[in-house]
Amino acid sequence: MYEEPYRWIEAVGNRRQYLDEQFTKGSPVVALAYADGILMLTVSRGTPKLYEIYDRIALGGMGHPADLEKLRFSLLEMAHVEGFNRSPSDVTGARLMKYGLAPVIKQAFEEIYKAPFIAKILLAELGVKPERDLFLSINYDGNFEESRGWAALGATSSVQGRMRRYVESQPPFAQASLAQAVELALCIWAVGSLAQTASESSTAESSSTQVSDDKAQGDDSCLPDRAALLTHVRHTVAEKSLECVLLERRGPGSTKYRALRPDELGGLLPPAVSSPAVT
Amino acid sequence: MGMQGDFFQLLKEQGYQFGNPVAAAAGMDVPTATTILALKYRDGVLVAGDRRATAGNMVMYDRTDKVLEIDRHSVMAIAGVPATAYEMVRVLEHSFKYYRRTQLQELSFEGKLRAVSKLLKENVPAALAGTGAVVPVFAGYDREQESAKIYFYDILGAEFEAVEYAVSGSGSPTIRGILHYVNTWGPQPLATLPEEQATVQALRLLSSAAEFDSATGGVNRELNLYPVVKLIKAAGVQTIPDAVLKRLYEREVVRER
Repeated sequence: MYEEPYRWIEAVGNRRQYLDEQFTKGSPVVALAYADGILMLTVSRGTPKLYEIYDRIALGGMGHPADLEKLRFSLLEMAHVEGFNRSPSDVTGARLMKYGLAPVIKQAFEEIYKAPFIAKILLAELGVKPERDLFLSINYDGNFEESRGWAALGATSSVQGRMRRYVESQPPFAQASLAQAVELALCIWAVGSLAQTASESSTAESSSTQVSDDKAQGDDSCLPDRAALLTHVRHTVAEKSLECVLLERRGPGSTKYRALRPDELGGLLPPAVSSPAVT
Repeated sequence: MGMQGDFFQLLKEQGYQFGNPVAAAAGMDVPTATTILALKYRDGVLVAGDRRATAGNMVMYDRTDKVLEIDRHSVMAIAGVPATAYEMVRVLEHSFKYYRRTQLQELSFEGKLRAVSKLLKENVPAALAGTGAVVPVFAGYDREQESAKIYFYDILGAEFEAVEYAVSGSGSPTIRGILHYVNTWGPQPLATLPEEQATVQALRLLSSAAEFDSATGGVNRELNLYPVVKLIKAAGVQTIPDAVLKRLYEREVVRER
């Protein structure tokens, strides 16, 4: 029955609705450039969501772990074969995104007889110079975008919009220290996480309302203050684990990726988050 | 297949070939590269190599780097055909990275040793044809056992663990005897030497090799050319800067008459 164009459009529309619901329970991913490189952060429930792809490229994901693994492996394969056959400096985030991820994800999304990837991916690439740091994010339908300075993944575009509004309300952070960057990233994460919880409960109340409805609601309500955000982080971190990786511009050797150890991360957390959690 | 994190297998599936013999090359002067040594000292392992590459009687290059970092904790020093050796190092470097990134854990030290053996074995046809023989010394820090180790290989890929030191290359017979003598009857065993003294020994040994082997380049002070000396410790691989080598060489190696 999908042979008719109208049916196909309808099926793709259903697919969007189904996928949007899949991400509401996921944890947002935040990446931002600070004075010494790039930081990527999320809160995870057991399975890690942040990974090393290549010497200067990190990946953060939302979605189904099996789908993320599949896409991560295809990126790793592409990056390493390319880095070996050409050179490590030819492995760029833009090429991985445009030729590695986007076509595969888009095709899977539109082939309505097959399962789509339940995945949103964020690639952060450390440039040779700070002004060449790049963030690339891709949605479950294969749509991708590039940004500078920071990027985040959230369940819906309205959640991402709220995170953007929060970042825009903050002072510039390009020269921030690692501890300042961690705090800002935690706040952005909390904005996203709270927005997701709110939209989830509102859709639960009026289950059949359209997506545009919660978008309007999400954008209009005012943003919570820093203390409220950090309290939310503290409550969440008590049950789940905070994950944070860095791409360090002055790191030794060619590999700039480094995951922060829990004790290091503990020392960087703002007191409002760390004090009750440390036991 | 990709799920196992085997990069070499992945390359092969994509049509990559390694270690193919070239029959027509028999009798040709292939560039080779020459004296390398690794020794255990107080804080870990020191690996050093001269910088000359020769083809027959001709000096091809005097700035070759034969002590190559594969990752933060392992180093391969090469003697033999540089073209093959560099390729091996590139394969290893990507294999270790690929394994770590796919499997989310570091390849074990033993696994790294096996990877070197495997490549040498693949290379046997080329080695026997005379175009690709490589005789490396592999040294690294074994984090499970918390000690730095040295391994040396034959061209067929057999691996041998060196207890105190290992040498390879055309200049190696000269310094092998010296190493034995110094280690057994010198003022103190090599394994107890502090960093600076171990470096001085390495400079003296490479100068001796250059004295008796035309294919080993010694120190060229006019050109400010010193051997490559790297240290492997728990914290990772560290290269000794030329300025330090120059100071030690002038103070401890040169004897003005």
